[in-house]
Amino acid sequence: MDQIGYNRLHSVFETLFSFLFKYPRLVFEQGDFVFGATRSMSLAAIVIALAAAYAIWTYRQLVLVRGRDRATLLAIRTALFGLVVFGLLQPMLLLKVAIPQQNFVGVLLDDSRSMQVADVDGGPRSGFVLDRFGRTDSPILTELGKRFTLRVYRFSSSAERLQSTSDLTFAGTGTRLGDAVDRARDELTGLPVAGLVVVSDGADNAGDSIDESLAALRAQAIPVFTVGVGEERLSRDVQVTRVNLPRRVLKGTALVIDVVVTQTGYAGRTVPLVVEDAGRVVSEQEITLPPDGESETVRVRFKASEKGPRVFRFRIPAQAGEEVPQNNQRDLLTEVYDGRQKILYLEGEPRPEAKFVRLATADDENIQVVLLQRTAEATVRVPDKFLRLGVDSGEELINGFPTTREELYEYRAIILGTIEAGAFTPDQQRMLEDFVDVRGGTLLALGGRRSFSEGGWGGTPLSNALPVTLDRGVRPPFDPPLEVVVRPTPAGASHPATQIADTEANNAAKWRDLPPLTILNGLGAVKPGANVLLTGIDERGREQVVLAHQRYGRGKAMVLTPQDTWLWRMHAKMALEDTTHFTFWQRLTRWMVDDVPERVMASTSPDTVERGDPFTINAEVLDKEYKGINDGRITARVTQPSGRVEEIPLDWTVEQDGEYRGRFTPTEDGVHTIAIGGTSRDGGDVGRGTVSIRVAPSEAEYFDAAMRAPLLRRIAEETKGRFLRANETDQLADAISYSGSGITVVEERELWDMPILLIVLLGLMGSEWLYRRAKGLA
Amino acid sequence: MTTKRIRAAVVLGVVAVATVAAATISAQRGGGFRQRFAPQNFAPPVRYDGKFVFVRMSYPYVGRGMPPWSHDYPTGETHFMRILSTITNVWSHVEESSILSFSDPEMFKFPLVYLCEPGYWELTETEVKALRSYLLKGGFMVVDDFPSWAWGQFDFTMSRVFPGLQWIELDETHPIFHTFFEINPFNVIPPYAQLGGKPKFMALFEDNDPTKRMYAIANYQNDISEFWEFSETGWQPVDLTNEAYKIGVNEFVYGLTH
Repeated sequence: MDQIGYNRLHSVFETLFSFLFKYPRLVFEQGDFVFGATRSMSLAAIVIALAAAYAIWTYRQLVLVRGRDRATLLAIRTALFGLVVFGLLQPMLLLKVAIPQQNFVGVLLDDSRSMQVADVDGGPRSGFVLDRFGRTDSPILTELGKRFTLRVYRFSSSAERLQSTSDLTFAGTGTRLGDAVDRARDELTGLPVAGLVVVSDGADNAGDSIDESLAALRAQAIPVFTVGVGEERLSRDVQVTRVNLPRRVLKGTALVIDVVVTQTGYAGRTVPLVVEDAGRVVSEQEITLPPDGESETVRVRFKASEKGPRVFRFRIPAQAGEEVPQNNQRDLLTEVYDGRQKILYLEGEPRPEAKFVRLATADDENIQVVLLQRTAEATVRVPDKFLRLGVDSGEELINGFPTTREELYEYRAIILGTIEAGAFTPDQQRMLEDFVDVRGGTLLALGGRRSFSEGGWGGTPLSNALPVTLDRGVRPPFDPPLEVVVRPTPAGASHPATQIADTEANNAAKWRDLPPLTILNGLGAVKPGANVLLTGIDERGREQVVLAHQRYGRGKAMVLTPQDTWLWRMHAKMALEDTTHFTFWQRLTRWMVDDVPERVMASTSPDTVERGDPFTINAEVLDKEYKGINDGRITARVTQPSGRVEEIPLDWTVEQDGEYRGRFTPTEDGVHTIAIGGTSRDGGDVGRGTVSIRVAPSEAEYFDAAMRAPLLRRIAEETKGRFLRANETDQLADAISYSGSGITVVEERELWDMPILLIVLLGLMGSEWLYRRAKGLA
Repeated sequence: MTTKRIRAAVVLGVVAVATVAAATISAQRGGGFRQRFAPQNFAPPVRYDGKFVFVRMSYPYVGRGMPPWSHDYPTGETHFMRILSTITNVWSHVEESSILSFSDPEMFKFPLVYLCEPGYWELTETEVKALRSYLLKGGFMVVDDFPSWAWGQFDFTMSRVFPGLQWIELDETHPIFHTFFEINPFNVIPPYAQLGGKPKFMALFEDNDPTKRMYAIANYQNDISEFWEFSETGWQPVDLTNEAYKIGVNEFVYGLTH
């Protein structure tokens, strides 16, 4: 049944109820049921009850009437006497009724953009508000005005008294229900308040909980009567519901973004989903819209090729007859950062894997793989011999693997090749764990004859970080190695790191085509928090972990178990033009450096604001060992779209080491760039971090624009008010009057003369007569 | 001992030495020790298991005697692999090696191959494509043991593989001579005079750019593996043999890492 049908049925039901029970349902809900009979009436009732008992007894003496007939007639007769006794006892409802003109009522009218949606009898929601609450001579306001002193407010992002109907523009870019009722409650403090009326579609987008506002209303016993305007489900609408775009992304990254699309009225239709970077189309694909009311997650692929703060627009063209075309697009800001991200690749022997990883990533301008490759092992007299490739200077890694955290933390990620744990000092082993846990870097452990348990890594600090368990003690590698066919798991099929083709279908096909690899290591169980992206099927059909990862502290740790991913490049089956191996390693290394924190990390909350709304600038400032710097002189340089720069000092929060905070109120629309910098207490430079924020009119009003009855109903129920639909507003005055709030008087409403009682009485008598005739008992 | 007897002993000694020397040189030229190099004595290829394998490349040869690509087999590689696996930590098959043809797809599982005596080397069109693909994908080829006269055929064959690339002569400063050992390869005097002129180390680079990736190195007018093969006989001076091993180690480590 659609909304209109439901409303009609509901209206018929209410009318019928009022006719049969003399009063509307509301009166029964608010009143207390009592019997008001005097002593003499009670006596009469007892006499009748005794007479009834006698009659029943006489029935039992009748010989002619037996079995089911006797039972039926007894039941009818008992019910008849019962009804009479019920009427004689003078049933009534006691109601606390607000005394006319002695109470105040606040009427809050939603003035936000979403009220322009045309889903109330073909007209806009705003039309309903203006018609029912915008005219002083409207039946509702007239009725309310007779009983209460009215205070009318308009609200959207803020609330204020309504001076004139012309103040209602329905252009507010936000809806803050909590703030609105707080404002009205504050203004009416000290006055006898019978209730608040909120006329809205319930599209609250304040982002804060409304709980505090409701608690305050409950404390002051102010009921809220919510009037829901609009349909609970739009009949024709396509909406880009959510886009999972990261806040920061490395330049050149091939993004795989999930876009959630919802719709009603266009099921099965094929529409284009377009992604634009500052007006330039970077992706376009056809999608089939899901069934009505359901969501579809669409995977969109494009490259972040321009550095700086970029606003990406995800849009579906407006469809014919759409009620809310404004929610067909979303604009999202992401910071595309540039620069070479250094990855330290420590390889324990001159094996081809390292060479091919370097070849695969050589063309990536943003990835720098620094190779420290052991070419000979230490003897009693000489230390390990290393080959260094890709270093920035002759000094870099000159003494082999770093011995200080400061040196190690210069890298954003580590690839650990086949090298035994014994090649590291105990402190270096702890540094590997801290690199992930404290520094927030990524560590990728590769398979090999001296990796994992085969390299004695079981029980070391690093084994805590890895996503798989390792046996203690050194075990020999598989001989011969396990040959495995690699396949993505369900999680891996959609993970950005394991996308080796341009579309989902091509990706699945490409994985099926790759030649097998070999594994030397026997791993333990996958840890509970880990995620397996690639799995290998060996010749006996057993599954082996190929690529798994888990969060560990601030960073992530990963394992890639084959010893020879280079076969995906070299194998005779792989065409020379096939760049799968390059793509795999470029995606993997980019994922490794993605999200790895800098020494200065900045963020804003929220991440999008409107002009005039203050936002918070958060900064985390760390030293070279990634410990928080407290008491620093930290400032945020806010560059506004016009080029104007403002310096905002940030204060240490004290709550957490290295955490600073400040606030800024934008006065311009557009992207604001915020650069964080400063000095530590001893005057040392702390480094620099940047973040951007987009200041623009909010489009939130157009998203999930259907009337949100659950929220409005909750507000009403928690404050002991009442939720009314648009077609029930004629009950509003009574609902407030009988709510028991404000200055009230108790009224009695007699029920003995309810039509339903007479109808039932006559019905019972008629039934008895008909039954007797039918059975020949008359 | 009489003078006659002394003369006879000297003559015998000279003859014996000459015989050994002739046999040795003959072996290098493919004319002797046929039983030792008989085709049926070539060991089957090593199955790929991730370890490094010394892969000697073969090619069709219709002449008499042992095929030239097999010179120094198997002693040369066996000796060299013992040194390589002892000096470096390349995880490798030491006593086993492989012989593969350029048409064998197994070649692609071994990213470094060795070719000797390229003066008789010819490739089919399929093999040309295979070698080009192998080197462009990331493979590396060490070419050794060829005299000056062999260059023409070798260069012609390689020009079919890479029509646009030119061989570039390396000097002692090139990183390949400093990857593992710090060496000057020109200190190694070729083991015999028939190789021609002064030894040269020629290389093919991506885009003819010496700063880019090297595809192959040719020990032109030299026979480094000759030192390896006879290192246990004392036929060549120890210090020269040592340097020859160093050149081999550097070339192989470079090929595996660059």
